[in-house]
Amino acid sequence: MLVDTLGAQAPAAARTDWHALARGARVKRFAGQSALLAFLLIVSVPIILPYFWMVVISFTARSGGVSTDVLWTSCAVIVPAVLIYSAVHLLAPSPRVRVIAALILLVAVGALLAALVGGQLHVANYRFLWRTNIIEEIRSKATAGGQFPSVWVAFRNSLALALTQTLLILTVASLAGYYISRFAFRGREAFLQGLLVLHAFPAMTLIIPIFLILHWVGLLDTIPGVILVLTTIELPFYVFVMKGFFDAVPWDIEMSAMTDGASRRQAFRLVVLPQVRVGLIAIAVFAFIRAWEEYIFVRTMLIENKNWVMSLYLFWVSDDIMGVDYGIVAAVSVFYVLPSLLLYVFCQKYLTQMTIGGIRG
Amino acid sequence: MARIELKNVGKNWVGATAVDRIDLSIEDGAFIAVLGPSGCGKTTTLLMLAGIYNPTTGDIAFDGARVNDVEARDRNVGIVFQSYALYPSMTVLENIMFPLRFKKVERAEAERRAREIAGLVRIDALLERRPSQLSGGQQQRVALARALVKRPHLLLLDEPLSNLDASLRLSMRTEIRRIQRELGVTTILVTHDQIEATTMADRIVVMNAGRVEQEGTAKDLYEQPKTLFVASFIGSPPINLFDGHAEDGAIKVHEATVPLNGSARGNVVLGLRPESIRVDSTGTPARIIAVEPMGREVLYSADCSLGRVHFLEAGAEARHREGDNVALAFSPADALLFDKSDGQRLDAGIAA
Repeated sequence: MLVDTLGAQAPAAARTDWHALARGARVKRFAGQSALLAFLLIVSVPIILPYFWMVVISFTARSGGVSTDVLWTSCAVIVPAVLIYSAVHLLAPSPRVRVIAALILLVAVGALLAALVGGQLHVANYRFLWRTNIIEEIRSKATAGGQFPSVWVAFRNSLALALTQTLLILTVASLAGYYISRFAFRGREAFLQGLLVLHAFPAMTLIIPIFLILHWVGLLDTIPGVILVLTTIELPFYVFVMKGFFDAVPWDIEMSAMTDGASRRQAFRLVVLPQVRVGLIAIAVFAFIRAWEEYIFVRTMLIENKNWVMSLYLFWVSDDIMGVDYGIVAAVSVFYVLPSLLLYVFCQKYLTQMTIGGIRG
Repeated sequence: MARIELKNVGKNWVGATAVDRIDLSIEDGAFIAVLGPSGCGKTTTLLMLAGIYNPTTGDIAFDGARVNDVEARDRNVGIVFQSYALYPSMTVLENIMFPLRFKKVERAEAERRAREIAGLVRIDALLERRPSQLSGGQQQRVALARALVKRPHLLLLDEPLSNLDASLRLSMRTEIRRIQRELGVTTILVTHDQIEATTMADRIVVMNAGRVEQEGTAKDLYEQPKTLFVASFIGSPPINLFDGHAEDGAIKVHEATVPLNGSARGNVVLGLRPESIRVDSTGTPARIIAVEPMGREVLYSADCSLGRVHFLEAGAEARHREGDNVALAFSPADALLFDKSDGQRLDAGIAA
């Protein structure tokens, strides 16, 4: 009887038009992908365009003003190329075709750009890298901060600040994160909530008390002073992130290491730390970039020009010659943004992991 | 290799008792299984033996010496965790050599021993791989090799087979047994699977709610369970249990009255193994309500005057169908009687 009922329904099943369904699904997927691609292209324009403009200005602007000719010419070459590649990407699923198309387009864009704007490019705006007194040359007088320092002094200060801060954060956040993740202690919950609350408060509100404290302890206008302040403000967040990463490491391997003869410290170093390597890299990159771009606190607490960091150097350059020479300001900006950009590009996959680790917490 | 003793060992967490004063002694070279449902305290007991947890009460002794205060790293105990707990950042060889790092064994000697033990558990071909590139069964063998390479006094296996598929589980059971015999290492297997316990261990300790219910051989536990818990936990398909009331030399169960042999009063539980019930024209009438062929035997469910019973008949072919009326009987000697209030086995039996 059961078989009979199934038999009666068989013609209905045969009438299903599988080809039409498959076609429908393909059209739908194609439309979805196109819409996604278009959306991503559109939202990336306001982010990419200013950076691109900055780079263009730094290589083309000459003293006295800035023209948008080169920018629009380059866009007229690059935008169609991007659109053509998008079309190829959507229509050709084979990776070979995609790579070949990308290479052809790159060569075409390079040739066109060289022909149309190549003659206007120059590196004179980057002369701040090897000459110290450019500001006086341009304005024929000293800057507000006195003699303008070499960019390399600021670069060295920035590097020292960012590296030290990264090292401090790595050490404290990994140890504290491990402890909070593994040990029960009185007030653990309150401590965790405290970390979050601390992170939620805008640190800016503390700027006057911090300024005064630094002044009283004699660390005002010193790089170590700024390092201490910034590390303290940033730490809660990183401790929390590291706790999330340690939470994800199973207890079993630690117990196993201890029965295998390791002390708790050895188990931590040999077995647990390698498991949170991704987390360590992520917070290191993040901490470095944050320290590299820090502005408000260094602006407040570093005064003398021998203590300038890159952000202050950029500020004073633009303060002194904005409206006179955009080219140099753009060139300094490019030089300033380059390290964080490179770091970000190479470590991007670790940074995306950080949120995962954080959520687990 | 060591003789292990637990005296009055207990472990309390804040507001909860995980292990409630257990006594146990394990002969040198013996293989025993600790069997119990999850949460019965068996893993806590294991971790106390390993030295990860400190017992709240009682003493643990290795070869007669109290080791409560000896740190985990110095106890020379090998553990295989349920998750295997291999170190993901190390290769298989590095994993196996890890315990020897802390033993002042020279590198060359350590590697020789690691390779030897890898041969014993048959993973010689995998030594350069990382744990993530191994199958579950291979990971299991690596974990076993790592636990054995330090020549432990005591080998602890925490549900070592529960993450393996059925056929692999069967071969690993024999394999672990073979290796244990070969090395003669005192071994404690913790498991919730009675087949694992009965097939691998010489002796089984049944735990429930932090206490030892009974210890003995598989045969003892099956035929002479001391408590209702042991009777119901051991045996597959499980024992039939009927609530009844004993008075005046008989037990009233559901609609039936069963004559008592011996004295018992009050609420009791009557237990009958599925294979001790048989179809017999002199028995009580019953109606078959479900038939489940299990390969070499058939499991039937039936309703009779005792209530719902399950019984087994040998043979692959089912001889009764759903809805059939049959007559069922059991031999009184196979019946088990328990006190309902404390779960203890009663001396009394069923009269013929």
